[in-house]
Amino acid sequence: MALTLPPDSRTPLSWPVRPGNGLRASHGIARTLRVLLALALALWLVLPLVPLALWAFADRWSFPAVLPQAWGWGGVRAALAQGAVPAFGRSLLLGLLVSAVATPLGVLAARALAYRRVPLAPAVNVLLFAPLALPAFVAALGLNVLLLRVQVPPFAGVVLLLTVYALPYTSYTMRVAYGAHDLAVEEEARLLGASAWQVMWRVQLPLLAPALARAAFLAFLVGWSDYVITVLVGGGTIVTVPLLVAAAAAGTGNDATVALLSAAALLPPLVLLLVLGLFGRRPRSHQTNGDVK
Amino acid sequence: MAAPAILITAFVVIGGMATALAQSLGLFPLVGPPSLTVAAYAAQASDLPVGIGLSLAIAAASTVVACLVGFTAALVIVQGRWCGKLVAALGTLTVPVPHIVGAASVSLLLADSGLLARLFNAGGSWPELVGGPWWIGVVAEYGWKESAFVALVVTGTLATRAVSYDETAALLGAGRLSRLRHVLLPLSLPTLTVSATIIFVYSLGSYEVAWLLGRAYPEPLPVMALRLFNAATLTARPEAAAVAIVTTLLSFGAVAAALAYLRRSTLWR
Amino acid sequence: MIPAVRVEGLSKSFPGTGAPVLDDVNLTVEARSCTALLGPSGAGKSTLLRAISGLERPDAGRVLVGGQDMAGVGPEHRGMAMVQQRPLLFPHLNVLDNVAFAGTVRGVAKRAARADAAGFLELVQLAGFGPRPVAALSGGQAQRVAIARALAARPAVLLLDEPFSALDPELRSVMHDLLAQLRRSVNPTVLMVTHDRSEAAAVAEKIALFSGGRMLQHDSVERMYSRPVSLEASRLMGGANEIPGTVRNGCHHSALGALRLPGDTTWPPGPGILLVRQESIEVGPGNGPGLHATVSGLRVLGPRRLVSVDAAGVLLRAEIPWGRALAAGDTVTLSIPTSALAVVDDPDTAHTFPGAEKRPQITVQGLATLASIDN
Repeated sequence: MALTLPPDSRTPLSWPVRPGNGLRASHGIARTLRVLLALALALWLVLPLVPLALWAFADRWSFPAVLPQAWGWGGVRAALAQGAVPAFGRSLLLGLLVSAVATPLGVLAARALAYRRVPLAPAVNVLLFAPLALPAFVAALGLNVLLLRVQVPPFAGVVLLLTVYALPYTSYTMRVAYGAHDLAVEEEARLLGASAWQVMWRVQLPLLAPALARAAFLAFLVGWSDYVITVLVGGGTIVTVPLLVAAAAAGTGNDATVALLSAAALLPPLVLLLVLGLFGRRPRSHQTNGDVK
Repeated sequence: MAAPAILITAFVVIGGMATALAQSLGLFPLVGPPSLTVAAYAAQASDLPVGIGLSLAIAAASTVVACLVGFTAALVIVQGRWCGKLVAALGTLTVPVPHIVGAASVSLLLADSGLLARLFNAGGSWPELVGGPWWIGVVAEYGWKESAFVALVVTGTLATRAVSYDETAALLGAGRLSRLRHVLLPLSLPTLTVSATIIFVYSLGSYEVAWLLGRAYPEPLPVMALRLFNAATLTARPEAAAVAIVTTLLSFGAVAAALAYLRRSTLWR
Repeated sequence: MIPAVRVEGLSKSFPGTGAPVLDDVNLTVEARSCTALLGPSGAGKSTLLRAISGLERPDAGRVLVGGQDMAGVGPEHRGMAMVQQRPLLFPHLNVLDNVAFAGTVRGVAKRAARADAAGFLELVQLAGFGPRPVAALSGGQAQRVAIARALAARPAVLLLDEPFSALDPELRSVMHDLLAQLRRSVNPTVLMVTHDRSEAAAVAEKIALFSGGRMLQHDSVERMYSRPVSLEASRLMGGANEIPGTVRNGCHHSALGALRLPGDTTWPPGPGILLVRQESIEVGPGNGPGLHATVSGLRVLGPRRLVSVDAAGVLLRAEIPWGRALAAGDTVTLSIPTSALAVVDDPDTAHTFPGAEKRPQITVQGLATLASIDN
């Protein structure tokens, strides 16, 4: 496995619990404890990222000062000097390529499985999920020799392996989407005079668009975040942002560079997550009104 | 239509394991003629048990931390209101953080010159959390990031069904704790088992966090494998493959055990 | 001790939705009685049930059970149980453990809780189904298990939220019989939400009629049909005949002439709309005694027919059994029993709800007749 991702990354910010619900009422100590627990969890989730924010623009922050003593662009300059910009471009390209390959392949596999057009479906299922159980370094370490002998370019090899490690996510996300997809709607469209091609473009695609966006996002993350496959199969020739972060973090005394590179590595996924949250939302299927059945 | 996905997955998974196995058995040497031998396994026989134990311990500790914190977070999220929304939003932001970035950041937080040491003004008495004998930094990184994973996955399960079952149970006289024990926990258990397996397998076979936040000796299996792989001596390559094969066996064993447990324990699905 | 349930001034609205879901609802349900909460969807009846159960906190008002205010009492301590449209059987427990759930969470020993549960399974005629997984049940069986599970909690108040609406008609009447039988053996106070008038009449002694978050009327089943308190209540109960006119001296004067109103009520004088159920109008041969009318339309309602007639310029509807051949244009006589008449003074709301334009209209001739009476 290259990464752990929740297959359904819809932001659960809205909840089917109606306000004023009697089960969720709490008072006094119970309420205080609950708020404290929530705050503790929030701290647990956000604390590990706090040093990044502080270090990124700290020029001087000697121990044991609690806050940086001088702010500045030293970290930026050091990061640029280490090739942050081309690395950023390579990472972006890798993420986009993996997404561009793994998403359609996942869609095709999921479609075939959902419509039961695959012989030996259980075995195929096991195989598509197998990358989750096989440590990424094993596949990379094993295939490295083979890919070198048949002279596959390192970049293509990295994309190939990462695609396979992204496929469980894309195919599973699309499997769920096809499972929830009501074929009767497509049949209705056919009866209303739409051709197979029109059904595909005007009915199926819009209905599956949110799932497609999620699948593409997950595949991008697999490519964007990878370290070990890029190192082993790329043989050190493909320097991506994670590799720069690792190199900087392994050394000493360049904490600001580490923080800045790390922050840069966080940006694209977070931007995409926001875009997904804003545009990838399914229309609300039911209104939480009085008589919800 | 599934053919391209099946073909490349088969190539990478089966091909990867086969080539790793072949290398570990001396059938794929960099130089010289191939010969079937278990010399690579024998060469690491003394270090392997330590590595196996350490890797399993790190994976188990990380899984426990992630599941405990993640399940609690899921319960808070399901409660709704601003508390739940805050935790849900932060959890969602944590998921796409690359592990190498998480590791770098945890190092800036927990190291002896890190943020926490500064905050508590510990001076020289700060415990060795990063690179220390207890692998606290490594477990903290996995536990932190994977707890967000567990929280979101369990929330997804609970979202679709838990609210109505929770209400039904309340009307049948079940108080908060009873509902947790008799309804929410059993309903989440299959999802929790699956997430725990995913986390266990991931932290067992992942390299960069343990490499960055760990210590030089003893080594977890992936770190050992990559060190051998990059070693100057050519004989180390088969040994790296041998360590990889051992890791794979452990990983597949954990998945098989989890699947067997799921099949045996669930009445439904 | 089976308590009465009392709801006082209950109001509830959800943010983002305009009108309140419940608007100052007052309702008293006698101990051991069965009351149907009837109304179209969106009327607020399910929300009322959830508020009574404690699942929903009202914005204002209180719920009293046996005279005790339930504010601050959690749903699990109210001594109620609810069966909903979906059976919501716990998927991780088998049938027997589902029914034993209430006992288990109360700390009853597993063996005793299961023995108790087996008894309730027998009561809903599912003896021996205990070890099955809930996924193996049919819809009707699952709903019976849900009822057994609710009853095993020994509720003083049993809440039913459209429990049978997902079942097919035959199964539904079987369930109605089962419910009647259970009420004889267990007899809790029952509140049942339904949107089906005939189900409400078949199961309950009293009906509380809801529309738009307000309770329109709370009465015995018979009076709900024969004496609606408003035009809206009449229409929601399916009444099809509305004849405008004036009340004087216990008589209703309209195009139909002067009709004596039931003597058990004092009818205030003034303008009033006469209501009469289509089922209560008898249609006789054209030469008989009574009100003369001409058949203007016929519609088949399965075992019965709906006849539209024009009586002195007023369109009336009568639901009659098959029998004598009838065709449009035939002359018939109508007889309307006094006990079937009721008058409401509700001219303002007559046009305010959906379907108003489809109701029988007064013809020009009828209006002229009316005008001559009033003068």
